[in-house]
Amino acid sequence: MGPIKIEPTKALDEALTTQRKLAAAIDTLRQVDDVDFGATAKEAIYREDKLVVYRFRGDRPPTAKVPILIVYALVNRPYMVDLQDDRSLVKNLLAKGEDVYLIDWGYPDLADRWLTLDDYINGYIARSVDAVARHARVRKVNLLGICQGGAFSLCFAAMHPHKVQNLITMVTPVDFQTPENMLSNWVQKLDVDLFVDTLGNVPADLMNLCYLMLKPVRLNQQKYIGLVDILDDKVEMENFLRMEKWIFDSPDQAGEAFRQFIKDFYQGNKLVRGGLKIGERDVNLADVTMPVLNVFAEQDHLVPPSASRVLGEHVGTDDYTQIAFRGGHIGIYVSGRAQREVPAAIHDWLAQRAR
Amino acid sequence: MGESSIPDWMKQWQALSQQSVNAWTEVARDAMSQAGHGRVDGFEQWSRAFGAGPGKGGQAETIERLVDGAKNYVAFMQSLIAAASANAPNGVPSWSDALRQAFTMPGGPASFEHPLMRLWKEQATAGHAQAALGKLFGTLPGGANPAEELKSWLQLPAFGYLREHQEHQQKSAVAWVDYQEQLARYNAKMLEAARRGFELFEGKLSEREQPGRQIESLRALYDLWVDAAEEGYAEIALSKEFRDVYGALTNAQMRLRSQIHQEIERLSADLGMPTRSELNNIGERLQALRREVRAQRGGDAFIDELATLRREFDDLRAAVEGARASDREGSAKAAAVGTGTPAPKAARKTARAGEQAVPATKKPPKRRARNARSERAVAAVAPGNFASRIARFADASLGSRTGKNVETAEKAHKPGKPRKSGKKKH
Repeated sequence: MGPIKIEPTKALDEALTTQRKLAAAIDTLRQVDDVDFGATAKEAIYREDKLVVYRFRGDRPPTAKVPILIVYALVNRPYMVDLQDDRSLVKNLLAKGEDVYLIDWGYPDLADRWLTLDDYINGYIARSVDAVARHARVRKVNLLGICQGGAFSLCFAAMHPHKVQNLITMVTPVDFQTPENMLSNWVQKLDVDLFVDTLGNVPADLMNLCYLMLKPVRLNQQKYIGLVDILDDKVEMENFLRMEKWIFDSPDQAGEAFRQFIKDFYQGNKLVRGGLKIGERDVNLADVTMPVLNVFAEQDHLVPPSASRVLGEHVGTDDYTQIAFRGGHIGIYVSGRAQREVPAAIHDWLAQRAR
Repeated sequence: MGESSIPDWMKQWQALSQQSVNAWTEVARDAMSQAGHGRVDGFEQWSRAFGAGPGKGGQAETIERLVDGAKNYVAFMQSLIAAASANAPNGVPSWSDALRQAFTMPGGPASFEHPLMRLWKEQATAGHAQAALGKLFGTLPGGANPAEELKSWLQLPAFGYLREHQEHQQKSAVAWVDYQEQLARYNAKMLEAARRGFELFEGKLSEREQPGRQIESLRALYDLWVDAAEEGYAEIALSKEFRDVYGALTNAQMRLRSQIHQEIERLSADLGMPTRSELNNIGERLQALRREVRAQRGGDAFIDELATLRREFDDLRAAVEGARASDREGSAKAAAVGTGTPAPKAARKTARAGEQAVPATKKPPKRRARNARSERAVAAVAPGNFASRIARFADASLGSRTGKNVETAEKAHKPGKPRKSGKKKH
């Protein structure tokens, strides 16, 4: 008995049916209008260069006294946290009574080529935190850093602990040199000075292709074949397109910030090894003394769990909590389980510390 | 179908192929007519047709990616069925043999291209430069080791009026040869990943020989194949050898790009056009200027903050000293009342000395009330707000070290390194 028991006639039928469905899927795609994203109403409370800080408006006024400021990564657009009505971390946090703000970095261009990590962290983030604190009339805010934004938030909290009430990190790399970290493996021998001096800003398309190469067959091909299974489901098709739009809607990376991020974080692993400086300031995770909640995804192919879960060994706080979410780097925002578990976990954790 | 004869098989296969072409052509014809083209046949034209006709919804890029994925999957199915039908003893296809014969990495070579290589192909200007370089160096002499011969040829010293230009071209050519070498190393690694993927695929197949676990559809076979391919690829992509190869290829392309940039800059300068370097210089200066302006603005704000803090500090010091003096005065009076005799001169002097610490403009009757207010103010602000303001000031004006010290002072109840034992982990 062999492992393959495919009836030849069925194989022929399957091949033909699949081809027809693929053709139909393409035909359907040509008829579909562009998809929208962003489910929650929001207002801009602060602008600077291309950066905008938004405050989201829920159905009822927030009950939490300390606002949450979401610091997203530079490498993707932040609307992933508010993708659509039934897939929104923001909406679910608002429903729990939280007061949610978000930094939208915009799309850097050649004028932003010389922005450094100091400009981003001690500049943009610091002024955004001040703006939120002023707007909410509080002294400190809760920071929620996501992915690269989580690493930035850790740096900010270490350098400005008096401005952060509680720190939440989601899918955040801390140890950048764990064995499962494919991106890290690829950049270890990169001459990043030559790279940035040559390219200037790092093109978004290049970043996207790098991410696709983490799982080349699955991401370049298999997921599109899967479209034949959802062809008749308009909602699922729109969900697919919305996600597709987000994945490929990437900003270019400011050259100088990219240079330092690769050198100090990926190649030097200084966040855990020490010696990290942002501008003139030392960054020492032992200075992160406020309560910390670290949420990571067990099937994360971009930020392996091993890269995140070490955070507890390095921060200075004695109030550290971590949650391992069953899902991937994207699923932690958009999966059904994420909608149920993640906002509730964040809210409960904050509420316990607000008493 | 196990009972079908081989000619039946072939007939069905031919019919399938025809149906397949018809299906693709039908869709392609619609797309082409919308895009203003005439009728076309065949898969390639079909996929190109969608490139030309994005549709009304702006989903052109998604369609393009779907077409790429679909092409490879359809090719997988067709090659598998074709190989199986050709190896069908007694009309029963040997799928395993077919897999071995038809095996190519799922997704084809394009899926495994180095991202920079792929991006470069997509960039028209760079692509032209690359093609031009390829043509130029493709005509150079070969030999047993063409790359090495080319390199030694390119290291000949330049001379004459165009020496600098020749040197630059030689460096560009060396960069090109090096890039090709690194690309070959990268492609060899991808081949290794493909081989490893197939080994893993065979292992996965052998686990499915028991009834109930067998694979009964092309799609299930394909999915298993993808799992194996990804695992094989991950093994290679996470290796130290791959790290070297990947880095070397990236660096080689950057050197080549840099050479091309320099050449374009030279030409632009000759034509009196602005160059990328000039724009970079302007951008860098602009950002430096912005930082200076911001620091200046921040400096003014901190001077104000410092003045406010000084005033508060003076008030607080006066309040504390006033309170102490009041205490001493009260004690002296109490002592005098207790003994029924006037307070000694020394005590009166001390009280007066204490009074003098209070600003002279304030009259004694109001002093006590003011002291009480100050004490309340001290109680209200100390230590948090005042320390925090000091921290903010120090943080921004003196650097993080001072800021951290103040922060640490606020948390004086937690001396030394924070404890870890109380951490909660879920």
